[in-house]
Amino acid sequence: MIASIVDLVLRALIVLAGTALATFALLWHAPGDPAQSIAMARFDALVTDEVIAIVREEVGLDVGFWSAFQSWVRPLLVFDFGNSSVTGREVLPDLLTAISYTVPLALVGLAIGLVVSIPLAFVATKRPGGWLDRLAVAIASLGAAIPAYWLGLLLILIFAVHLAWLPAMGARTPAHAVLPALTLGLGVAASLTRIIRSGILEARAQPFLPAIKRRGVSSKAIGRDHVVPHAAIPVLTVLGLEMAFLLEGAVMVEIIFGRPGLGTFLVTAIEARDFPQVQAVVILTALLFVTVNLVIDVIYRALDPRIGEQDA
Amino acid sequence: MTLSVSGLSAMRSGQTILCPTSLAISPGDRIGLVGASGSGKSTLGHVLVDALRAQSHTVAHVPQSPDEALDPLRSMAFHWREAEQALGLQPGAADQKALFSSLKIEGGDLRKRPWAWSRGMQQRFVIAMALMGVPDLIVLDEPTSALDPVIAAATMGLLDRHLRGSKTAMMLITHDLGLVARRVSQLMVMHEGQIVEHASTKDILERPQSEPSKVLAAHRNWFALPC
Amino acid sequence: MLKVDHVSVKRGASVALKGISLSLDPGKTLAVVGESGAGKSTLIAAILGLLKPSHGSITWAGAPVRSCRPALVMQEPRSAFNPALSLRHSVFETVTAGKLKVQDDRLERLCRGLELYPGLLDRRPSAVSIGQAQRVGILRALIAAPPFVLFDEPLSALDAVTQKHTAKLIADLQDEEGFAALIVTHDLGYAVAHADEIAVLKSGRIDEISTPQVFMASPKSEYCRTLRDAAVALGALEPPV
Repeated sequence: MIASIVDLVLRALIVLAGTALATFALLWHAPGDPAQSIAMARFDALVTDEVIAIVREEVGLDVGFWSAFQSWVRPLLVFDFGNSSVTGREVLPDLLTAISYTVPLALVGLAIGLVVSIPLAFVATKRPGGWLDRLAVAIASLGAAIPAYWLGLLLILIFAVHLAWLPAMGARTPAHAVLPALTLGLGVAASLTRIIRSGILEARAQPFLPAIKRRGVSSKAIGRDHVVPHAAIPVLTVLGLEMAFLLEGAVMVEIIFGRPGLGTFLVTAIEARDFPQVQAVVILTALLFVTVNLVIDVIYRALDPRIGEQDA
Repeated sequence: MTLSVSGLSAMRSGQTILCPTSLAISPGDRIGLVGASGSGKSTLGHVLVDALRAQSHTVAHVPQSPDEALDPLRSMAFHWREAEQALGLQPGAADQKALFSSLKIEGGDLRKRPWAWSRGMQQRFVIAMALMGVPDLIVLDEPTSALDPVIAAATMGLLDRHLRGSKTAMMLITHDLGLVARRVSQLMVMHEGQIVEHASTKDILERPQSEPSKVLAAHRNWFALPC
Repeated sequence: MLKVDHVSVKRGASVALKGISLSLDPGKTLAVVGESGAGKSTLIAAILGLLKPSHGSITWAGAPVRSCRPALVMQEPRSAFNPALSLRHSVFETVTAGKLKVQDDRLERLCRGLELYPGLLDRRPSAVSIGQAQRVGILRALIAAPPFVLFDEPLSALDAVTQKHTAKLIADLQDEEGFAALIVTHDLGYAVAHADEIAVLKSGRIDEISTPQVFMASPKSEYCRTLRDAAVALGALEPPV
């Protein structure tokens, strides 16, 4: 068990290193001169070549790819994210403020997703192929097909414009979070419903269930002790992927609803080619991903130790 | 008390796979249910167990392979406790120690999950679970075909010894007359969803009446081949 | 003839076969028996050249075994065929791919010997019985008249009656065609009834090679006696007199 956790952590480190390198390379090689973008963002105006040269030197873009990469990565190892190239302010406090808006939104979205999808999936699998099941599958497919920005606008149109029940823009009160969280949560619910449903159906087809039933075990106990653990394995896998959807969705939703948060933070930073800010977001997101997947892997191994053995 | 059922039948996708069948089994009976593959013998085993259970007899069923009897995510101890609860026994009420030693699996680690045990031991564990609570009937469906011959022979030997003198009746389902010839006192021969012959083992081996019985008896072992 | 000379095969860190030596003459049958994990399937893979021995050599008449185009009959009759193709297509796949010559009446003769009516070959694997599928597997192995055929548990998916029937058909064909047969099986009854020699494999080594008569009456090793007694207890063998 300990050996396999060490193995997982090592893999996580490789993923993080790859992410850092890829982000830096993409920003570096993106079309246009980064120094010019930074200077323009900094002074909010067209700037002369001399100013661009000064900015280039100041930000450390004049030393070549690998040296610049190294001088950026080294402080990261002690969690020093540096200062913004544009504002000169420290990256970390601004980033934490952005996170304090985004993470609650994502978690509420996930909670809505789970609260909707689990009962829906259970109802659907009561009678597979029945009208309830087909209805649930149809809703789930529809939900998965609708992109977040479209659903967000639809919700704004219904609840903010026509009914005027909820505010649409900003983040001043908790009520402002309802529509964004719903937009996120319904998207999550759609894909989770399908996965939980097929997970349950697959778990019910396990070859040993008839024998356990014949042993006299009640269907309730079979559901609880044998079906749920088997169904949980594919659901866990998807939950890990769902985290990606949540973050990506949160970024989109924040922009639609004009909320501060990681999305706004990232878009501004990319437009300005603010290397330290972009990289801080990407690295933090990657770290979050790796941690979530690490936790899921550990849960996997506790559920079914064979999973770890096959890896080795 | 004699176990008796009548009118057992089964259909699958519009086809009859088991014609209406009635059976009576006395305590301590040793019955072989034989027939070619697809003759409906496994189905009869299943519906027989379900019907007797509905009459609140205790009946146990041992499937062909331990994969069809044990959940790979659950420990052996969990399976045991679950089976005890299903019989309405208190935890630890079944004489696990005696059953395990008579089936020679006392060395197995109950905290482990099934796949950490060898297949032979898994199968004997399943048989031990089936025997807990002294059932009126134990139905074994090809219990040895997924095992190595040495392990299979040992398992059958241990089961024979355990059942000797017990009032538990046994039904052994197999396509191989050789396997049951020396283990059961009466044979039922199945063919296309019907019991075509039911007689003592000796009679069917020596004087088979129906055509399917004649074929089975002629192919009983590798040296009894009709040339 | 097949000659396996002091062959060892490593699988990962462990040694799957340890110093195996055996030989097989044309027209003869060698049965390889032993428990699961004893190395039976590894031996087949090594003979077919799919695994490279770490030590020793395997030859057919002095040349690599592959050069004689050996044939293999597999354990699971249905999954041995492409379910989307007709059986006829599967049977002739190797013939067309290898541009091999097949005598005109050969298919007909083999079908007669295996009790397959020719129309059956136009069906898909799922539309024939499991016993028929296994016989088509044997037909496919023999269509190009190989001098050497390997059988990997050829009867284990069949029921008792079909097993004995198929075994008889294999034996009759062998008499006619004269191929050498290496049969891997865990069914001692089959080995004793049909093989000229029985090789008992245990944990990657050959425990004993003997004729069926010797194996039944007076096996030398303890393990062979255990195997024989198990087969007797399971009713696959008549008790030795």
